[in-house]
Amino acid sequence: MVIAALVSFAILFVAWIVAPEGAAVTTTHMIEAEPATPEAQPLAA
Amino acid sequence: MPELNAGDTAWVLASAALVMLMTPGLALFYGGLVRRKNVLSTIMHSFFILALVSVTWVLWGYTLAFGPDTGLGIIGGFDWLALEGVTGEPSDTYATTIPHLAFMTFQGMFAIITPALITGAFAERKRFKAFVIFAVAWSTLVYAPIAHWVWSPDGWLFGLGVLDFAGGTVVHLSSGIAALVAALFIGRRTGVIGAPPEPHDVPMTVLGAGLLWFGWFGFNAGSALGANGLAANAFVTTNTAAGMAAITWVTVSWLHKGTPSVIGAALGAVAGLVAITPAAGFVTPAASILIGLGVGVVCYGAAQIRLRTRVDDALDVFAVHGVGGAFGALATGVFATTAVNAAGFNGLLNGNPGQLLTQVIGVAVVGLYSAVATGLILFLINLVVPIRVPDTEEEAGLDLAQHGEIAYQV
Repeated sequence: MVIAALVSFAILFVAWIVAPEGAAVTTTHMIEAEPATPEAQPLAA
Repeated sequence: MPELNAGDTAWVLASAALVMLMTPGLALFYGGLVRRKNVLSTIMHSFFILALVSVTWVLWGYTLAFGPDTGLGIIGGFDWLALEGVTGEPSDTYATTIPHLAFMTFQGMFAIITPALITGAFAERKRFKAFVIFAVAWSTLVYAPIAHWVWSPDGWLFGLGVLDFAGGTVVHLSSGIAALVAALFIGRRTGVIGAPPEPHDVPMTVLGAGLLWFGWFGFNAGSALGANGLAANAFVTTNTAAGMAAITWVTVSWLHKGTPSVIGAALGAVAGLVAITPAAGFVTPAASILIGLGVGVVCYGAAQIRLRTRVDDALDVFAVHGVGGAFGALATGVFATTAVNAAGFNGLLNGNPGQLLTQVIGVAVVGLYSAVATGLILFLINLVVPIRVPDTEEEAGLDLAQHGEIAYQV
């Protein structure tokens, strides 16, 4: 059981090393990630 | 045969839960201090470590730190690998009135938060993959040996007489020094010259500081490992030092910069909690006020000095945890009294100047080992997986570039 537990962690560790690198950063994504700039609102009378 | 005590068991298990909450609290504390494009990655560092070290601690961390010594007081053996032989019965060695499993999991929460503290130094520019490897390596090769040296009855610093009630050297000094090394290794954030970027969510940071303060009662009072007067003393000294350091930091920054800073109150409280950690079960409440006063001034000064350097320790981990941990360890050598804890030693002010020298040795050894080992780990990882993300990803923000998510839609 101890060996199985160690092996299961080792499998995950190897997966982290070979896993693809993050999300692709595209211009579209970057624009979408920008916070919306609030427009000026007229003061209530 | 050791006998279980229900009150002690309940308190230590509750304390373990309190200390567990500190890591999500740290995630919020750090998360509020970074820019909005990096808040998720910063929170993920702490949250992932909570999961990761929960597993590695059970598999091999606990036996390396607290297992029967291999002979030189340097590291534990593999006797308790994957908790073989660690049961609901009390240990013969540690906290003999609670289940061994309760002691193990309480210590595990300390092992979790320690590498999480380091993440503040390389915030906003570290590659997640490299971070994961670093967290496993650091908790195994730096945290576990230092915990063994200081807290195992066979540890060589324990044998030397170094006092560290709840982790001033083991947790805070080791992580603070590692943070400084990490900040130097990874370099400054792109475009960050002079004053650091404004925190994106100060209420989040204050909420995180509040959760840290709350959890710290488990950290320090739980380290009495029993529901008793020593736990009460640690509870009171912890709260008092945190309060004194917070009001001191606010006062100093008010005089220095003209406003009573909210972030300063949060940083000051954490600095006070750090400094009282090694001392909580060895000093009186009155001494904790002096410790809070001293660390509030010293850590504020350290943070100001850091700003004048080129070191981009993004969230001032070294100034608060490294300097605060060292200050607390030395203050323990000054204020400790056996009137509070008969299992400890008197300090300088109680007729034992040698204790201060012992504390100096402990600080120097732990700091030096953490610095060298952390640098070596980072160097080796960087050969396989670059530690730092490319400039394009840093500019886009790690939330999107590394995790494919953003924190806020508006």
